[in-house]
Amino acid sequence: MTANGHNLNAEAILALAPTVILTDYTIGPVEVQMQLRDAGIPVVVLDDRRTADTVTSQIHEVSEALGVPEAGEQLAERTAKEIPAARQRVDRLRSVNGQRSPRAVFLYLRGRSGTYDWFGKDTGADDLIAALGATDVATASGVKGYQPLNAEALAAAAPDVVLVMTDGLASVGGVDGLLGLPGVAETPAGRTRCVIDMADTEILSFGTRFAPTIDALGDALYRSGAVAEQAARR
Amino acid sequence: MTVTYRAVEPPTLPAPRTSRSVPVITVLGVAVVIGVVVSAGTGQYALGLDRVVSSLIARISRTGSGGLDAAAESVLWDVRMPRLVMAVLVGAALGVAGALMQGLFRNPLAEPAVVGVSSGAAVGACVAIVSGINLMGSLTAPVAAFAGAVTATAAVYLLSRSTGHADTSGVVLMGVAVNAIAAAGIGVAVVAAGPRARQDILFWQLGSLNGTRWVAVGAALPLLVVGLVAAVLLSRSLDLLSLGESTARHLGVDVERSQVAAIATVALLVGPATAFCGIIGFVGLVVAHALRIVLGPRHRPLIIGSALGGALVMVVADTAARTAVAHAELPVGMLTALVGGPVFLLLLRRRKTLGVPR
Repeated sequence: MTANGHNLNAEAILALAPTVILTDYTIGPVEVQMQLRDAGIPVVVLDDRRTADTVTSQIHEVSEALGVPEAGEQLAERTAKEIPAARQRVDRLRSVNGQRSPRAVFLYLRGRSGTYDWFGKDTGADDLIAALGATDVATASGVKGYQPLNAEALAAAAPDVVLVMTDGLASVGGVDGLLGLPGVAETPAGRTRCVIDMADTEILSFGTRFAPTIDALGDALYRSGAVAEQAARR
Repeated sequence: MTVTYRAVEPPTLPAPRTSRSVPVITVLGVAVVIGVVVSAGTGQYALGLDRVVSSLIARISRTGSGGLDAAAESVLWDVRMPRLVMAVLVGAALGVAGALMQGLFRNPLAEPAVVGVSSGAAVGACVAIVSGINLMGSLTAPVAAFAGAVTATAAVYLLSRSTGHADTSGVVLMGVAVNAIAAAGIGVAVVAAGPRARQDILFWQLGSLNGTRWVAVGAALPLLVVGLVAAVLLSRSLDLLSLGESTARHLGVDVERSQVAAIATVALLVGPATAFCGIIGFVGLVVAHALRIVLGPRHRPLIIGSALGGALVMVVADTAARTAVAHAELPVGMLTALVGGPVFLLLLRRRKTLGVPR
């Protein structure tokens, strides 16, 4: 609908004649959402938090808003079963190869606007890294929420692997560009170019595909053994 | 005593160009009406002028909806109209504020943004956005922005006065200083803000009328109307002030009071405009500057013309902002700066060659 989350146009949305609008406050301006409500269309504002705890609540919210709570219940149940199964698979993969728990960090990169944040406690990145059986070094360093990257703090946190969004990585010029960001080259992950990228819409979405996300990232982390080798050298 | 001095006044005043001001103001007025009519029939929702007119007639005569279904009715009266009214009001306010600033500081470069009013408003709005203070609901940020606008304007004026530089360059320099401090304040707010507040601040600064509701129009309207009326009432004092402070004093003007009144009026105009629509630059600067070239330095026609000219520019710019990109919005402040910057450059070149009086 919008190229960018903050330029909703009420007329353009109403021209599509929606019967219900699902939204949250990460897009805006909020006044436009109020205008849509003024226009008599039910506007359902959903929880915008995305963590391991909101996977099923999100499904319930959407299915209730759309009037299909039973289907939502089934989907939530299935998804809730898939997640621990995926975590077990990843755990097995790690222990089969005798690997230690690696230190990981999630970096949010937007090269064009010069935004380089590391995600810490309560950002979802901490949950994701925990689900992979790794240690979130940002949370361990006391980062709460989103914080601008600090070179020395990142170097001191010494992650073995960096998780990024695919478009974010591209926006800084790939792995080479990432190594040019403050402190990245000084980390074990930077020295060994240990970077895992995943689609922006996938990696922190915590939706019905959270289990496949865990599987895919677990594969990338533990299948090759590269990250483990590095963790062992530490 | 005053009367004695007033007798001296006519020969010293710049020659009035009443012969030009009536046709120019008439043309501007007609252009605003045409702009409003065209804009009312334009938008991303297929709702042309014919249906707008039939809805308007139906509303006035209280005979149903004029053939519009509920959705179209809502698009027209809850989305398009409040925004159009706000564009007219804000454009007029910014144009007049520019004329007042340039007259008061006897400086054709003075505009609300240059002397810190807009960035002061931005700091106020940032504080409200970041702190999450909610004292007056949706009016909290606008009220904070208004307070910031008044503080910054007063600071620029008082600082330049107290250091004995209440002249052209002194005021602009103080404006630079206050703008720098305000920019630092905005920087602090951005760092302290979460991602959502950060985005709010960024887009607020780009300036937009998107999402204007009648509540906002209702809150801004009284302040802007008072400001516009006050500006017209001040035009006489500004004419005399343009002769220099001491001359104006001898001609019976209470210089201090007029200056304070003019500054308060600028804050009254720019504060609410910026508060609801963000920073919209260059409208005040360019419109008043261009009209000063056409109409001459007398403030009454200049202020009325600037109100109409500002309204026209904003209606045109905002219509572009809400229709240029399919399914999305352009920040209107970006558009006005994009067009206003080059236009201002052209005006400056012209002014140099023609030696147009301030």
